[in-house]
Amino acid sequence: MSRTVLICDDAIFMRTMVGDILSQAGFEIVGEAETGVQAVEQYKALRPDLVTMDIVMPEMGGIDAVREITQHDPAARILMCSAMGQQALVVEAIQAGAKDFVVKPFQPSRVLEAVNRVLAA
Amino acid sequence: MDTSRYAALFFTESREHLAAMDTALLAIEQDRQVAHVDTLFRGMHTIKGMAAAMAFEAVEQVAHALEARCDPLRRGEVPLTDQEIAALFDGVDRLRATVDAAANGQTALAPTVAAPSSPPSPTNRRVIEIRLVADCPLPGVRAVLVLARVRSLLTVRSTQPPEATWAEEKFDGAFAITVEGDAEERVIVESVRGAGDVARVEVVDARDREAAPTQVARTVRIDASRLDALLDLAGELVITRDRLVRALEAVDGPPDRQVQRATRETARLISALHTEVLEARMLPVREVFDRFPRLVRDTARELGKEVMLSTEGQEIALDRSLLDAIGEPLLHLLRNALDHGMELPDDRERVGKLRSGQLVLRAARDRASVVIQVQDDGRGIDRDAVRTRAAAQGLIPDSMTTLSDEALLNVLAHPGFSMATHVSTLSGRGVGVDVVNTRVRALGGHLELETLAGAGTVFTLRLPVTLAIARAVLVRVGTSLYAIPAAQVVEVVDAEQRDLSPSRDAMQRETVTVRDHLMPLVDLAVLFDEEILPATDADGGQYLAVVESAGRRAALLVDGLVAQQDIVVKGLDPVRGGSHWFSGATILGDGTPALIVDVHRVV
Repeated sequence: MSRTVLICDDAIFMRTMVGDILSQAGFEIVGEAETGVQAVEQYKALRPDLVTMDIVMPEMGGIDAVREITQHDPAARILMCSAMGQQALVVEAIQAGAKDFVVKPFQPSRVLEAVNRVLAA
Repeated sequence: MDTSRYAALFFTESREHLAAMDTALLAIEQDRQVAHVDTLFRGMHTIKGMAAAMAFEAVEQVAHALEARCDPLRRGEVPLTDQEIAALFDGVDRLRATVDAAANGQTALAPTVAAPSSPPSPTNRRVIEIRLVADCPLPGVRAVLVLARVRSLLTVRSTQPPEATWAEEKFDGAFAITVEGDAEERVIVESVRGAGDVARVEVVDARDREAAPTQVARTVRIDASRLDALLDLAGELVITRDRLVRALEAVDGPPDRQVQRATRETARLISALHTEVLEARMLPVREVFDRFPRLVRDTARELGKEVMLSTEGQEIALDRSLLDAIGEPLLHLLRNALDHGMELPDDRERVGKLRSGQLVLRAARDRASVVIQVQDDGRGIDRDAVRTRAAAQGLIPDSMTTLSDEALLNVLAHPGFSMATHVSTLSGRGVGVDVVNTRVRALGGHLELETLAGAGTVFTLRLPVTLAIARAVLVRVGTSLYAIPAAQVVEVVDAEQRDLSPSRDAMQRETVTVRDHLMPLVDLAVLFDEEILPATDADGGQYLAVVESAGRRAALLVDGLVAQQDIVVKGLDPVRGGSHWFSGATILGDGTPALIVDVHRVV
């Protein structure tokens, strides 16, 4: 059975790009969220193997979403998708429970490396 | 990872905080304001944080204990009693001691110290050194991920650089984690690499990475000989530069443009170099003054007196070596003032003074000197008692009925003078005045004294601003050359036109009027015991060099003006006879020696 992933980003463009990379690697995209609130709701409903999370989103940002999801499920595997120059925020996200990160623009190989690390941990 | 770079910063900052804490302590003693306790608290808190980052356990623990004591005081839960204040003084002293110990390599907690939570003596402490790949995105975050993995295997003691700095721009992806625990190296390496983007990871024994007993150089003191050598060289360069320039001017024929240009450039660079060296050597007197307020307070307490030291002119700058050298003389003068000058609080009250005595340490600039004063509002020096004693010792003629301030100082500074007869309430060993005077003279300076019975005393140290190179006016007296410090030369006028006045000055010298100033005329040929040359001279006559020191002027009669140039000042051995009129000597460009006139003595 292929592994499931929940993609959280407020831009369709980003969700599509990440989605393409992951589905080509054999993942099943079971959900997409545009806001932090949706991210938490969908996680609880779908229990995906992996979550990709953007930092800046309306209605609850990515870091808060990470915190809530991790509180709900400490074993949650969340990968932060960040732009360059957001170091302090990404550190915060890690401290909130995210397991790893990738930076935009995405390089498929790097994304997959990160995903594998997250799943292996 | 090399920690010594941060060590220097740690010690400089810690010492600054400790100095600020001392100031706060003194303020607390004065007005018991809780706001000062806040300052104290912030200082110890900062030192604690820095110590933790440097893995200086002893400092961290002492700071922590001090913080714990300070916190309830800061919040007003515990009143600021004398006992608490004394405990704070002790605590800051202990903190300072641990910082000093850390500077000597003793950073670990001594096993006998009872501390709140002392970590076990580490036998398996290791350092994991990590370097992330060069193009790693967000290296700070990657480092955090590495740290998280390490934490799951071992106990993390500290990180270099501190974790808080990893998110900064300047973090370069190289860091080290000091750990304790038994995890196998292989497991550690695998886990660290598993974090991704790790280029290099190495696990070493902590002992191999410990900074060697850090002789952390204090930022103020510099090896004296090295500094002197630097200044000597700079000085010689300046003299040689002048010789080069003069030699070039003397060359016959059309000037070589290239040579001229190169010479000008060299001359300019040498001047700039010399200025840099001079300025590098200047430091504000604050560096020396800072240590005294606390000292005065402690000493006054020991003596049962109440004395506060205030300082003025802390930003006035002095040559470094001078600064180093005046510390001790100032200490002597301060102790003297505390021992002998200051009365006991009750005695002060009885004569209508405030119980608390005022001691002032003051620095100011004069034309060519830095003036430092130690002033007290104590009982003043008993002129009569000193005079009687001095006459008894044969130092002054019996016929002298009063001692002027100058004569008083000369007596006090006389090595043989002692006030200790049998038992005297003044118990004047006059300890140190002769020492202070000798030191100050050796530095090319002067000591002055003013005292008023019942009101107080002022000792004034007058020191040259810079050493080594001075602009001087070279003059000929008889067949010898002499140098007069240009800074003290007001002007030079033709002696033919001297306007002799009928009166004589206090020392029975002839006087002249120059530009409406009446001043003594000093014939240097007579003063320096030189051959008196016939009045007519190829140079066209004699000159009067008008000089000034400490507000007093004199007109020096010289046989000829030679030049105005820079000279390298070399000290004179004070033992040599006849050096009374001279503050130093110099070797001129052509090898001729010239004595430097001590203007202060002459006026």
